Amino acid sequence: MKKRLYLELENCIGCRSCLAACTQCGGHEQRNRNYVYDVNPFVNRQTMPLMCLHCVNPACARSCPAQAIQIHETGAVLSALVEKCIGCQNCTIACPYGIPKFDTEQNLMYKCDMCIDRSKDGIPPMCASVCPSNTIQWLSDEEIEAKQRQFNLNNGKWVTSMPYLEGETNVKVNLPGILQGVTKLF
Amino acid sequence: MQRDKFFKEIENVRHPNETLIKTHCAYCGMQCGMNLRVNTQTNKIVGVEPRYDWPVNVGKMCPKGVTAYQQTNHDDRILKPLIRDDASLKGTTKGFREASWDEAYDLVASKFKELQDQYGKDSLSVFSGVSMTNEKCYLTGKFARVAMQTRYIDYNGRFCMSSAAGGFLRSFGVDRGSTLPWTDIHETDCLFIAGSNTAECHPTSMFRVWHVQERGGYLIVADPRETPIARRADVHLDLRPGTDLALANGILNLLIQNGYADEEFVNDHTNGFEETKELVKEFTPEYTSELTGVSPEKIIRAAEIYGKAPNAIVMFARGIEQQHKGVDNVSAYTNMALVTGKIGRPKAGVATFTGQGNGQGGREHGQKSDLLPGYRKLTNPKHVEEVCQVWGITPEEMPQPGVSAYEMFELMEEKTIRGLYLLCSNPAVSAPNQNFVRKALKGLDFMVCSDFYLSESAEYADVILPSVTWSEDEGTVTNLEGRIIKINKAQEPIGESKPDWQIQVELAEKLGRGKYFSHLKTASDVADEFRLASKGGYADYYGATWDKIDKQDGVFWPCRDENDPGTPHMFLDKKFYHPDGKAKICALPYRPPAEEPNEEYPLRLTTGRVVFHYLSGNQTRRIQFLRDMCPEPYVEVHPETAAKYHIEHEERVRLFSRRGEAVYKVKITEAIRKDTVFVPYHFGHEQSINLLTIPALDPISRMPEFKACAAQIEKLEMKKVQ
Repeated sequence: MKKRLYLELENCIGCRSCLAACTQCGGHEQRNRNYVYDVNPFVNRQTMPLMCLHCVNPACARSCPAQAIQIHETGAVLSALVEKCIGCQNCTIACPYGIPKFDTEQNLMYKCDMCIDRSKDGIPPMCASVCPSNTIQWLSDEEIEAKQRQFNLNNGKWVTSMPYLEGETNVKVNLPGILQGVTKLF
Repeated sequence: MQRDKFFKEIENVRHPNETLIKTHCAYCGMQCGMNLRVNTQTNKIVGVEPRYDWPVNVGKMCPKGVTAYQQTNHDDRILKPLIRDDASLKGTTKGFREASWDEAYDLVASKFKELQDQYGKDSLSVFSGVSMTNEKCYLTGKFARVAMQTRYIDYNGRFCMSSAAGGFLRSFGVDRGSTLPWTDIHETDCLFIAGSNTAECHPTSMFRVWHVQERGGYLIVADPRETPIARRADVHLDLRPGTDLALANGILNLLIQNGYADEEFVNDHTNGFEETKELVKEFTPEYTSELTGVSPEKIIRAAEIYGKAPNAIVMFARGIEQQHKGVDNVSAYTNMALVTGKIGRPKAGVATFTGQGNGQGGREHGQKSDLLPGYRKLTNPKHVEEVCQVWGITPEEMPQPGVSAYEMFELMEEKTIRGLYLLCSNPAVSAPNQNFVRKALKGLDFMVCSDFYLSESAEYADVILPSVTWSEDEGTVTNLEGRIIKINKAQEPIGESKPDWQIQVELAEKLGRGKYFSHLKTASDVADEFRLASKGGYADYYGATWDKIDKQDGVFWPCRDENDPGTPHMFLDKKFYHPDGKAKICALPYRPPAEEPNEEYPLRLTTGRVVFHYLSGNQTRRIQFLRDMCPEPYVEVHPETAAKYHIEHEERVRLFSRRGEAVYKVKITEAIRKDTVFVPYHFGHEQSINLLTIPALDPISRMPEFKACAAQIEKLEMKKVQ
């Protein structure tokens, strides 16, 4: 059963374990490729991870003049091919989420590739494997649909379960606020 | 068997030329399962891979766990014994020269003999820790009493777990940190968590905590700070540091007044209810609010939720335990479960978040000044007799009980103790009142330290013995559930380093006590003797063989024989461990913190951990990723308080108490009380917040009050900063 990355931002505890684990997948050369943000650090401790959402029609790949960004059959948008990347950094500007990172020494873009050596065989990426708060999960489409039905908050200010943010993505996201729709046990 | 809703069948990735060694983390009491990646050509640890099939953490790890493997082959490892001939250099990293094991052992043995000949057997001391296996903890207790023949042994659990131990012993008659397995947590209806920054200190509990809320259950958190777990709490009881006893009494009063007491359970299975009911009457929501600073509405709401919940778990950690009434706090929060009968069944009970990897097992088997293996007491002649039989000594040879960890420094200062064998601990960072403690260490006639890095405490040593990391030895550890688990060896010790049990066996020989130790040739030999020594005690490990641990995914003690599967849930038969089989509901009068703020020191200082570091930071500060994430300590200040002192975010200020001072960068956040400041304690030398903390000890657990003292902030002139 195909599984995909699913982010439940409300759960994030800011531990950065996803960053530490990113370097452990074997193909990542000890450089992490995701982000964790303090949402409003002077006010509270809400944090949120951001990793590549693996767009169905990725702006990074479209912007690349050298076709260095390949899309895997699983839908994963891969890191730039070393032999093709010309270091123009178009992708870093094109990405609506600011995901691609740039190595100035190697003149090379690098980004999350969904731990492709793991995920192509159905093994969860390192970030989803270790995430202690279940912010980053590895779920089937049925499980994600159930989640999005359960957390379908629409309080007039924001909705937590949107079909997608900018354009359709392979990674699914639920925004903070999910618990406001939960019915209490007693 | 223990496959819950979070369990997923996942095949591990295997990299070419690598093998996976299944083991557990080096750090906290969660003891998360993990696989170490070992290169089969170099036989060195090269990385980590999740252990998806370990029932407690199902592959999840915090950033400390993910990077723990980097300790083993770290450049800072001590590879050979070190001797320092010039004692005037004590307190620095200077003057050490490499030596052979023989030279180091001979020097230690001759210095120990010299001191004992001149000042008596008890002039020596052992200061130990519980971030090591049960086998090592057990042998350290035996080594102190049989090889060194001194009464003075104690350990860093006095700065960590001893209040929980004292409270549980008083309430239940037995000290097992959790009455139920962690796999129950997400299935309960209400979590009442006091003084635990769970998301930072035990992060791999969090997916279970959040699931309670996802199911419609409740989360109540008592903490002076809006920690990452408190952020999402249904009720955040934002109390003043050091006022937990009032809060617990106030909630208990409401539970009783509003009819949530389980009369049948109270009558049949507890003592002390009437007396306690009378005592807590005084703690009305208004009076409790006055003492704690929490609004009456929140106190009422919290009591209502806990009272109504069909199942609930009361959990706590160092926030309530590191107080000079830590034992009372533990018993007071435990009262909530005993009065409402929410204990002794699945999904309901009481648990403490054990801080150190083997905080549970390490305190049960004889490293504590008054305890012997199996949770036996040195003051009980029958217990002493039982242990003497295993050790092959006579009861007359068994040393008397000693004193607690902090009190040992007092005895060093007054020259009653003149020699120290320090292992598995870093008190020059972790003890309170550092100016005093460092002076005591410096004044020792002789100190030997066993460590794998040159810690701040090792800077006071005459001899340093290179020990191994957790990944270079094997043995058992007891996690925060009371589950005995197996640590496996992933690589050979690097350099000339040796496991502490081996060091003790060899040193015993040099001390002329070899006949009591020389039969211990492997960690497994130590394990066999240790299980036998625990047999018949409260903490009976006799039936917990390595083989059974492997087959059952761990064994919960008590486990008395080969056919006993162990005890995941305590008290299912409603039998407690006091002689009459009943639990004790404790009437506990409120006491304020030992040091209350005044005009000169108007702020309440509290200390704690961050997610990126562990204990004194000796291990984690050397790991690049963790260091990058949190390179230095800081002082958390509320914006209104900051405005009063005219200080800004990231500005450096002087923080001081009656005992000491330090300079910290300011971190402004609304997620803390206005009357409270917080500093993480993982840092050494001039950055240590324990320069300021107060050595007010709990009368029972001898735990210092790390969590509350009075302090003041002073703005530094800009020129001083540069």
